Amino acid sequence: MAFTDIPVKKHFTIKTTDKKTLQKWFHLMVLGRILDDRAPNYLKQAIGWSYHAAFAGHDGIQLAIGQVFDRKTDHLYPYYRDMMTAISAGLTAEEVIFNGISKDADVAGGGRHMSNHFAKPEWNIHNVSSSTGNHALHAAGTGRAFIKYKQKGVVISSQGESSVSEGYVYEAINGASNEQVPVIFVFQDNGYGISVPKADQTANRKVANNFTGFKNLRIIHCNGKDVFDSMNAMKEAKDWAIKNSMPVIVQANCVRIHSHSNSDRHELYRDDFELNYVHEYDPLAKYRRLLLRYNRFTEEELVEIEKKAKVEVKDAHKKAMAAPDPSAESIFDFVIGPEYKSEKYPEGIHSADGPKKKLIEAINETLKAEFRHNPDTYIWGQDIAYKEKGGIFNVTKGMQKEFGKERVFNAPIAEDFIMGTANGMSRFDKKIRIVVEGAEFADYFWPAMEQFVETTHEYWRSKGQFSPNITVRLASGGYIGGGLYHSQSIEGSLTTFPGTRIVYPSYADDAAGLLRTCMRSEGISVFLEPKFLYNAPIAATPVPDDFEVPFGKARIRREGKDLSIITFGNTTHMCIEVADKLEKDTGASIEVIDLRSLLPLDIEAIVASVRKTSKALVVHEDKIFGGFGGEIAATIAEAAFEYLDGPIHRVGSTFTPVGFNPILEKAVLPNTEKILKATKELLDY
Amino acid sequence: MKKIGLFYSFNTKKTAQTAKRIVESFGSENIDEINVEELTEKQFLGYDNIILGVPTWFDGELPNYWDEFVPALDDLDLRGKKVAIYGAGNQKDYPENFVDAVGIMSQLVEKQGAKVIGHTSVKGYTFESSKAKQGDVFVGLALDFENQSSMNKERIASWCEQLIKEFQ
Repeated sequence: MAFTDIPVKKHFTIKTTDKKTLQKWFHLMVLGRILDDRAPNYLKQAIGWSYHAAFAGHDGIQLAIGQVFDRKTDHLYPYYRDMMTAISAGLTAEEVIFNGISKDADVAGGGRHMSNHFAKPEWNIHNVSSSTGNHALHAAGTGRAFIKYKQKGVVISSQGESSVSEGYVYEAINGASNEQVPVIFVFQDNGYGISVPKADQTANRKVANNFTGFKNLRIIHCNGKDVFDSMNAMKEAKDWAIKNSMPVIVQANCVRIHSHSNSDRHELYRDDFELNYVHEYDPLAKYRRLLLRYNRFTEEELVEIEKKAKVEVKDAHKKAMAAPDPSAESIFDFVIGPEYKSEKYPEGIHSADGPKKKLIEAINETLKAEFRHNPDTYIWGQDIAYKEKGGIFNVTKGMQKEFGKERVFNAPIAEDFIMGTANGMSRFDKKIRIVVEGAEFADYFWPAMEQFVETTHEYWRSKGQFSPNITVRLASGGYIGGGLYHSQSIEGSLTTFPGTRIVYPSYADDAAGLLRTCMRSEGISVFLEPKFLYNAPIAATPVPDDFEVPFGKARIRREGKDLSIITFGNTTHMCIEVADKLEKDTGASIEVIDLRSLLPLDIEAIVASVRKTSKALVVHEDKIFGGFGGEIAATIAEAAFEYLDGPIHRVGSTFTPVGFNPILEKAVLPNTEKILKATKELLDY
Repeated sequence: MKKIGLFYSFNTKKTAQTAKRIVESFGSENIDEINVEELTEKQFLGYDNIILGVPTWFDGELPNYWDEFVPALDDLDLRGKKVAIYGAGNQKDYPENFVDAVGIMSQLVEKQGAKVIGHTSVKGYTFESSKAKQGDVFVGLALDFENQSSMNKERIASWCEQLIKEFQ
């Protein structure tokens, strides 16, 4: 059971807190409120700040979050209403306005992310998504790094109470509780998710109480409108989390004085009585009254502080207005982190001979070699970490035995958690490299798509300040009689996202070379493993120990001059078989290009081949409609149309799920028969 | 009976309405009404028989005007004083925190040495939990204007009769 009834020590009170500290808080709160009140003016004047979620009413807890945050030891994940948090943590008025009006100097990411998303990655104040609460998973992942690297500090995830309805928040708190990581999850409770009241979110009015059954968790409730109660709660949470290595939930009761944001009109769903009483409990006004009532400040002293803050904002405004905007040309900068450059194998080709290794052996041995090469490499996933077992297909066999439980460990059946904590852990240090088995099968990766998409945005959104250095391994494709949920090819969807690399080897040597490059590069790479080929003799090859395959380098697996087949994964072998047969039967000379990388795509190799053969057939296992082949075909049509002597044809799956009965599976998936037919037709065109 | 100090916010509706009934019950000559929003420590210490109007705000909080007096309260010696507390809550929409503020205030004044009187039965109310509940009684008078407004008059009258005895 969670720790729920432990009293919070009163470190801070209006009577005992030193005057200097009280003054600092008042200054920060006034500064924040001026900016909060002023933000809508920028939109009215068409300058920017088109999204503004006012923090007024959350002042106490946001001040407290920023005050307990120590940039030398802690990590902070603020959400879109956390302007006061950011100011309290150290952001200047100028930096806040730079973000609000999306200037190039915006420290969060040069105006790339939406306004009101305050961050300073340099100080570990992270740039997070607008998807509400999805950084809770990142916080859990960073907390994992704190444990691994013995960091004495806390991770703070701040979010609205309605975001706790998201399933991934449950996953994050479950993981944090299970791994006992020092993370504070702050729920800023203002009673609404935009217009949806708490009663429509969950049965408990205090959503933190939904977690009372969790072990290794402390729950603290505080008045987020009150500076002292909030300060005491956050200090208690931080001390507890560090001392006990345990997550803490702080639920802070706030009021939302304004609408959700400037696109919302709260008078449509809140009555006058409510609007009046939330104004009544203005935290700044309350703090000001306390300072006067208990004779800590005179009215004149407070007015002086208020005047100075106004001047500060005025000066910041002038500087922000004069600051440059980002340039249109910069959009292609920082799409993905730098790739590892192979000096020895610049084309990803080798001439090694020797005993053949199976595809599964190549992956296993490369993983181990890279774990030996880089001690800051980790792997986790479902079912992967037993002494004699390593994943559903045993790809990671022996890894935990060699590298220990600290580096090789199981994950709960929560794919989004697997991805999200990889993102969070990689924020701790640039040297860390993470490999995840994204799911038992690629078919089960869909719950992780939320974090996958998020992770593809990081480098661009932060303008190169944070690169998630992650390799996502997925056992992909069919031909194993697996039915709808053990046969899916998902690259057609994954390749629609800029900010990731997607590779799909067909042979053991390419699997080894691509995996090494993925694990040594910055950025996120998806390594799709054709599970049908794990143990297939046809995919076995000699594999040099140090082999590397650069991204975006296709490999001509069979040269020809009459027709080009562009393919990857399982179908590469079928295409070669078809080409061999046709050459033998008819003398046709067919070139087979194994793409190896889908993102980036080796357009040069494809176009060069089509120029030579004048005919192009695109073959892949995934569905024709919506499959990646459509992109290849369109690229050929655009770049080599005048060289074509026939239409570009495609072979792939039918636009149906993959059936379980072998008759159904055969009817759906491409095979040599279907490829042969299409090749003949195109040759004869 | 010593004169009673009745402390509540003059800017309220339900709490002030209840205060009016209390004054009627005791007779205005026996009771002084003091606005909490301007309350001083000296005023609070000026009475041995005290009635506090403490509605519950939000999910179980003291109203801000009482909350702002708590640091002062923390240093007051209330030994020898009798304190009765009433407060409004909403047992249907806020069943987890029904009249919590009555319970919070009760603890605060008890800690400073006061004796809390005017306990009332929890019978007739339906809620999940309350900081004002001790065993089968509330540590004051619980009023629900949203769901049981027709019962308020009788509840207040009965409570005042009880207080007349307990303040002796």
